[in-house]
Amino acid sequence: MNGISVDVNHLKKGEVNLGTSIMACKFDGGVILGADSRTTTGSFIANRVTDKLTQVHEKIWCCRSGSAADTQAVADIVHYHLQAYSAQNDRDPSAKVAASLFQELCYSNKDSLSAGIIVAGFDEMTGGEVYSIPLGGSLHKQEYAIAGSGSTYIYGFCNTHFKSNMSEDEVIQFVKTALAEAIKWDGSSGGVIRMVVLTKEGPRRLIFYPDEYEKICN
Amino acid sequence: MTSIGTGYDLSNSVFSPDGRNFQVEYAMKAVENGGTSIGIKFKDGVVLAAEKIVTSKLLVPNSNKRIQTIDKHVGVVYSGLVPDGRHFVGRGRDEASSWRSTYKVPIPVPSLADRLGSYAQAYTLYNSVRPFGISSIIGGVDEDGAHLYMIEPSGSYWGYSAAAAGKGRQTAKTELEKLEFSSLTAKDAVKEAARIIYLAHEDSKDKEFELEMTWISASETNSIHQFVPEALLKEAKQFAAEATSPEDKMEE
Amino acid sequence: MPGLSFENYQRNQHLATSGFAVPKTTSTGTTIVGCKFDGGVVIAADTRATAGDIVADKNCEKLHCISSNIWCAGAGTAADTEMVTQIISSNIELHSLSTGRQPRVVTCLTMLKQHLFKYQGHIGAYLIVAGVDPTGPQLMSIHAHGSTDIGYYLSLGSGSMAAMAVLESKWKREMNKEEAMALCTEAIESGIWNDLGSGSNVDMCVMEVGKDSVLHRNYRTPNVRAQKERSYKFARGTTGILGQTVRNLVDVVEVPIANEEMEVDS
Repeated sequence: MNGISVDVNHLKKGEVNLGTSIMACKFDGGVILGADSRTTTGSFIANRVTDKLTQVHEKIWCCRSGSAADTQAVADIVHYHLQAYSAQNDRDPSAKVAASLFQELCYSNKDSLSAGIIVAGFDEMTGGEVYSIPLGGSLHKQEYAIAGSGSTYIYGFCNTHFKSNMSEDEVIQFVKTALAEAIKWDGSSGGVIRMVVLTKEGPRRLIFYPDEYEKICN
Repeated sequence: MTSIGTGYDLSNSVFSPDGRNFQVEYAMKAVENGGTSIGIKFKDGVVLAAEKIVTSKLLVPNSNKRIQTIDKHVGVVYSGLVPDGRHFVGRGRDEASSWRSTYKVPIPVPSLADRLGSYAQAYTLYNSVRPFGISSIIGGVDEDGAHLYMIEPSGSYWGYSAAAAGKGRQTAKTELEKLEFSSLTAKDAVKEAARIIYLAHEDSKDKEFELEMTWISASETNSIHQFVPEALLKEAKQFAAEATSPEDKMEE
Repeated sequence: MPGLSFENYQRNQHLATSGFAVPKTTSTGTTIVGCKFDGGVVIAADTRATAGDIVADKNCEKLHCISSNIWCAGAGTAADTEMVTQIISSNIELHSLSTGRQPRVVTCLTMLKQHLFKYQGHIGAYLIVAGVDPTGPQLMSIHAHGSTDIGYYLSLGSGSMAAMAVLESKWKREMNKEEAMALCTEAIESGIWNDLGSGSNVDMCVMEVGKDSVLHRNYRTPNVRAQKERSYKFARGTTGILGQTVRNLVDVVEVPIANEEMEVDS
């Protein structure tokens, strides 16, 4: 196990799996999250329009990979904690706080969870932030992060094409191309490409259909 | 109504007919008898100071510290019953470390003050306990800047630019009100704190005392709560002694 | 001990290790679907229940009522879909009473997913939850491990592929109630004909904004048993009557009642 792709044998029999391509990336003025939309049970596509980008606070979102049940449960718990945080402390939680809550849950329940999560958030103080939490429950702050079974195909692409402080248009193109490649090569990824852009204006959703993104990489 | 409890002062959690909790009021009396402590907020930090009455010549100078650290970025000084204060600080440290372990970031000072305020308040509710015999002044620096709070035996707490508790608090408050907080530098604040403690001690001149001072500042201490360096402390003491000496007054 | 008892599970494990056959669970090897339309949502199910390769019930009910405005179609282990649905129904009723509000589908979905996640897939309930609440028509699905999905049209169970084939090819935006009902019927019938685990009839429930939900039990019955060619009943008079005796089993005795004035309660 390299801690990136999910060990399918580890999943309980018949469990719904997010054989996935997900990523998040910082850019000038914010942060962006992207994901495919395929959910599988074995070789069957249980949902072709899944939303793997989950909101846990106004400007803190996460990308989920691994078991759908596990990652939804974890995201729901973090969502609850962040609501309690803002109510009790009269302030918005930082992305680091959110990522730490995810990390704590993923680490302390590592034996019963299959969850690979990327957390991304924006606030005026720190700008955009990206945290990666792979299978064992460790926490990594990164400029950009990729995860899921499809991510193995785009390590090279992302490494050569990522730049710091991209513009919003540039970063959307970067994520779109990377995920289009991941979907192309990974059988467990597919459907539409969903994105969420987090800036000081708040969250904004984007969607790209196969007939568009498939043209990018022939 | 007299200040005598007429039977309503024997237990916590019992109101007197005119709506007072005598146990809390007696706790405040305990605070009033304690050595003076003050806190001053300046541009990018806080200074805490305590007047430590030397009760015996056998005590080792500079030991028996009165100002404690709750977390790297938060300090606390209190007036009143010292063992109560020690316990209160212990609770503060528990809160701060529990916050760190869940969120992996230092606790914001307002959140800490809120939790400690709730803790103190809980000790006014049950007849099996008594209120804390301390007023504690909590100073700290977090991502939003400097904060200063004072928590009373009732559990109520307020944010201050400068706060004073203990025997000399009236004198101290009068002096603190004259300060210009927006332009105060860290070093000036330390000197002023020393002067005010010296001044507050005037009324109990017969007793020996020791000045203890800590500070937290973004520019001077990298937002870490620590004791004021020896040299600066010496300078501040000198400044305080000159400012409060009778010769100065005669020159006026 | 609160919660479910797993004694039978242990018993079955013991039977298996002792070389006995493990008792079969009744499974709703099933086709269930749901589809939204303008102003409401419809769910439908087949009515076959199986235990292994035996048809255990030809006309079972897979549509469960959670509250008057929320209904649920269940696939998986029949006992689990029934029980989990009843537990959540009770809790939704209590929740609605304590909040003084109409129950919402998301509330129901959250209760179900947290319950199922807690049992880590051991409760074999696969559900399509639908209803109308103050936020409008809602359609969602839950898998036994506790994952949930949202969609305009959904299918679950062993016949879900057959049903989804119909939904994917014939679903369109902006359908009216009749179109949605026809689509769901066709999807379930596709399961009935093409999936071994599904069969018999089509049950349907229609939930519309501002109206009472309507359960169409046996909305379609494409598998009515044909009249037997031959009747095995004996015709009246087949056996000749040789004699007849009528006997009184009870003696009727008349007892005179004492002629007393009836006392009126004073």
